[in-house]
Amino acid sequence: MKVKQWIKTPKGYVILCMLAYVLLASAGTMDIKGVVNAGIAVSVSVAADMLGTSLVKKKRTPPYSAVITGLIVALILSTSASWIIVAATALLAIVPKYVFVNKKKAIFNPAALGLLLSSLLFQTGQSWWGAFGDLPAWSLIFPVIGGYLVTKRVNKFPLVFSFLGTYFVLLLIMGIFQFGDATDALRIPYINASLFFALFMLTDPPTSPAKYKDQIIFGILCAVAGAMVYAYFGGLIYLFVGLLAGNLYHYARTRPSYRTQLLTR
Amino acid sequence: MAKMNSKWVILCSAAIGAIYTAGYFTTDTLAAIQQPVPYSQVSGSSGNQGSKLDSQPAGSQVSVNVSQPTSKPASTKVKSKATTPTPAPTVKSKYINGTFYGAGNNRRGSVQVAVSIKNDKITGVEISDYRMRYSQDYIAGLPQEIIQNQSAKVHNVSGATYSTRAFRDAIQNALDQALNA
Repeated sequence: MKVKQWIKTPKGYVILCMLAYVLLASAGTMDIKGVVNAGIAVSVSVAADMLGTSLVKKKRTPPYSAVITGLIVALILSTSASWIIVAATALLAIVPKYVFVNKKKAIFNPAALGLLLSSLLFQTGQSWWGAFGDLPAWSLIFPVIGGYLVTKRVNKFPLVFSFLGTYFVLLLIMGIFQFGDATDALRIPYINASLFFALFMLTDPPTSPAKYKDQIIFGILCAVAGAMVYAYFGGLIYLFVGLLAGNLYHYARTRPSYRTQLLTR
Repeated sequence: MAKMNSKWVILCSAAIGAIYTAGYFTTDTLAAIQQPVPYSQVSGSSGNQGSKLDSQPAGSQVSVNVSQPTSKPASTKVKSKATTPTPAPTVKSKYINGTFYGAGNNRRGSVQVAVSIKNDKITGVEISDYRMRYSQDYIAGLPQEIIQNQSAKVHNVSGATYSTRAFRDAIQNALDQALNA
C-alpha cells in the first residue's frame, strides 16, 4: 500500500492525528516527556501485539492498531508517569485483546481497559495532556477537527452525537439540581478529555457497532454509565467505565447465540 | 452503508453545542463559588521572640500534623490564643512567627495549606483544604518533606503532578506572606 493510500485509511488518519497531537501538545507545554512516553508505549504495544499475534496464530498484518493503542495510552497518562508505568499500561491494554475475544475481534476497547486497569492497579495519574487540557482553550480546536475527520471516515457520527448529547444533557440536569460535580466536567481540562474520548476512543471500529441504530444505543449507554459513575464516585475513570459498558452491550448483540454455538460444534 | 448527511452533522453539532452551553452557564455560578480565595495572613507576631507557635484568631483551632525535629507527638492541636506583638529583635528575622495560610490552584483544582513558623523554621504544615480530582493520599507525605527541606521545594509525586504543583504553590504563597518585610 502506498503512503497516499495509507493516509486515507481510518487507521492512517488516526495515527497521523495522534502523532500531530503528541508533537503539538509537547511543544505547547514545553515538555519532552510526552514524546518519550509515546515512544515507550508504542514500542511495548507493538511488541506485545506481535507476540500475541504469533501466539494465537493469527494472520500477520501491520500492527497499526497497536500503534494507535500505544499513542492513546501515552496521550492520556500523565507525562510524569514513570516508564515502567507507561510500559505496564501499554501491556495491560494489549493483553486483553487476545484474552477477551468475540469473532476474532477484541471485546473491550484496548486503551480504555488498559488505562482503567492501570488506574486501579497502580493509581496511575491521567492528565489527558494530548487532548490539550494544559493549553489555552482555543487549542481544543485541534482534537475537534481531527476527531471530526476520523469520525467521518469511520462513519460513526450517530455514536458520537448520541454519546455527547446524552452526556451533556445529564450534566445539565446534574448542574440544575446541583448533584455531583457537573461544573468541572463541563470545563477545561475535563471537557477536552470528554471530546477526545468521544471522537477517538468511542469510534474504534472493532469494539463499537456499525449499524446506526446500534451506534445510537451504544452512545447513550456509554454516556449514562459514565455520567452515573462520575455523579456517584467522581474520579477520572468514569469515561472508561462507560465505554466498557458499551463494549459489553456490543458483545451481547454480536456474540453467537447458544443455539448457533451448538450447531457449529 | 450510507453516510450521515452533512446537514445533519452540522445540525446535530449545533444542538450538542447548545446543550453544552446551557450546562456551562447553569454551572457558571457554582464555578465562581468554587474558586479558591487566596488566604491572607491569619496570625503571627513580628520578631522571633516571645511568640507562641501558633497564634490564631479567637475561637479558631488549627491541627498541626507535624513530626517535629524533636521527639514531640506527630499530631498536636494548638488552641487559639491572642498574642501581644513583641518588640522587634536586634537581628531581623526572615519570617514572622505564626501560622500562615496559602493557596495554590490550577485547572485540576486547588490546595490550601497552613504553615506554622517559629524562629525562621517551618515547624508545621497542614493541608487545610483539598479540592483536586486526584486523591489527597498522593501528596500526604509532602508536608513532612517541607519540614525536612525547610523550603517549598518538594519532589514531584509521580501520578500527582498537578496536586504537587498546587501544593508547592500554596506553600510558597504562605511563605511569601510570612516574610518579615
